[in-house]
Amino acid sequence: MSTVQQSTLAAILQGRTETRREVLTSWIRSRTLGNTWPVVAGLLAVVALFAVQPLIEPSTQRFLATVFMFVALAQAWNIIGGYTGYASFGQVVFFGIGAYTTAVLMNNYHVSFWIAMPASIVAGVLFATLIGLPLLRLRGHYFAIATLGAAEGAREVINNMTPITGGGGGITIPTFGDQVPTPYFGKPGFYIAFLAVAAVSLALAALLARSRFGYAMVAVHEDEDAAGAIGINTTRVKVVAFAVSGAIVAAAGAFYAFQQIEFYPTDVFDANFTVLMVIMVVIGGSGTIIGPLAGAVGLELLAQFLRVNFGSFNQLIFGAIIVLVVVFFPQGVVNYFRDAWRTRNFSILDNIRRYLL
Amino acid sequence: MSQFLQAAAYGLVQGGLLALVAIGFSLVWGVMNVINLSHGALAITGAYLAWALNQRLGLDPTVAIPIVALAMFGFGYVIQRGLINLVINAPIFLTLLLTFGLNLVILNTLQWVFTADDRTIDTTYASQSFAIETVNIPYGRLASFLLALTITFALATVMTRTRLGHAIGATGMDRGAARLMGIRARHIYAVTFGLAAALAGVAGTMIATVGSFNPTTTPGQLTLDAFVISVLGGLGNTYGALVGGLVLGVAQSLGGLILTGSWVNAIAMAVLIVTLIIRPSGLIGKAQYSGRVEV
Repeated sequence: MSTVQQSTLAAILQGRTETRREVLTSWIRSRTLGNTWPVVAGLLAVVALFAVQPLIEPSTQRFLATVFMFVALAQAWNIIGGYTGYASFGQVVFFGIGAYTTAVLMNNYHVSFWIAMPASIVAGVLFATLIGLPLLRLRGHYFAIATLGAAEGAREVINNMTPITGGGGGITIPTFGDQVPTPYFGKPGFYIAFLAVAAVSLALAALLARSRFGYAMVAVHEDEDAAGAIGINTTRVKVVAFAVSGAIVAAAGAFYAFQQIEFYPTDVFDANFTVLMVIMVVIGGSGTIIGPLAGAVGLELLAQFLRVNFGSFNQLIFGAIIVLVVVFFPQGVVNYFRDAWRTRNFSILDNIRRYLL
Repeated sequence: MSQFLQAAAYGLVQGGLLALVAIGFSLVWGVMNVINLSHGALAITGAYLAWALNQRLGLDPTVAIPIVALAMFGFGYVIQRGLINLVINAPIFLTLLLTFGLNLVILNTLQWVFTADDRTIDTTYASQSFAIETVNIPYGRLASFLLALTITFALATVMTRTRLGHAIGATGMDRGAARLMGIRARHIYAVTFGLAAALAGVAGTMIATVGSFNPTTTPGQLTLDAFVISVLGGLGNTYGALVGGLVLGVAQSLGGLILTGSWVNAIAMAVLIVTLIIRPSGLIGKAQYSGRVEV
């Protein structure tokens, strides 16, 4: 029961006759005090990360830019996979499309990055609508595989469109000479760029999740037939969620392309990007805003720590940690702590039993 | 015309090899609703086992196959019993993640032990071929084709004629009801996964015999092929993987005649997506399986 209902109910029970205005003010107060702290914390974090930038080593800035990128990617996957419940295993397709749209426009047509990047977003949305309409009719594993197939197929198409995309030989964005469309950002520039991408995606996901549309997404997730029965246009909800997710991923891909300068189809259509998005969301806690954020930051830091300290064994340990986290926190770390806090039951053993056969 | 026949024949025997890879994958997916991303890694584990037996003891792959199958069965049983059963009731992406993590662990261990070099099991016969008119058929691939046929028929017999097969089928259809009938679902799941691992190991041995393999690129390709074939053939039918494998093998081989470069891969993916949209239950699969909502 929401605060406004509670206060009205309390008023009725106590025989008080509050005016509508009083109820409204108390409701606004409850909204501002109860629900603004994530916004304030988020804004503070962004401002702080922006402010401390000059103190950070350039190489660390580059690493943090990658972390920010994964924050955006994980949040994008969360919209379609976490909230709407359609586990896309080909979300990297939008990354590749975004990267190639920007690279082709900048390289072949000498278009400014600030025109190419929005064009990438448009391309992502168009492609999401195009493949979303037929593919979002599939459910479960079948949707996962179909999107995987779409990503692999798109990579092969780019790979074979050599006259436009450079094919398997890769593509280079011009960054020096007199024909430079947009000057290169450098490590500090990309730190800010990816910070902005991450902040915008987080804000977008949070706004979406709290809107009427967000409830429609969750309804589709919980029971699609029931959602349709209460008048939700499920096709529209699914396609829009897919397109928003695709737009974020495409934007990240555009920035990534410019950051990399030179790349190959196998780089930007790498299925590992999708897998990382899924891992970050699921391990953090899908269907929440903080979960994918925590998952992305935590896993990127962990991966970096393993790369630095364990050399060639980093992948082995990374895999083992994924297995352990999946077994111990199957509902995601954030969801585990939230539920454990509510029920005052912190037993890991009980948690393992949750999905035990 | 002879070129066409040659491509068709090669596609058919190659399809047998592909089917061999996919049988276990399709079985696990159909029975437990788990997409095993470590399937390719299991196949490569079998390949390394056969390769080591060949290097150290000079065992011929034909002799090594039963040993590999037995060892891989044990390995698969333990993985299912000790790990996958823990999250089997969770949403699909958890089992996907678990098998992805498992895949990383297995592959990196293999790479650590055997290095990332390409390996192959040398035999005097595998690369030889015989000719019918103008069509050449390599012995190694023919053997894997025949093996795929044999294994599919054997598996179909087990599934329809034995108590174990009935128990696996029943658990796949309705686990709750199966448990009420006294079927130990944990054990049955572990046996199913063990069977799949054994079949993957056999497929890996054949791959090592007819060609080469390495722990970096081969496993992912195998898992992806198994994916496509399982969807194409359809779940819930033991012959699904065989049909899907043969169709894909022939399609790729014939496509290679007409198309250049890596367009063949794009066609395979297009075939996959079109199958999913037009006939999600696959060519000969049971509709019940594609209707399952698991997210």
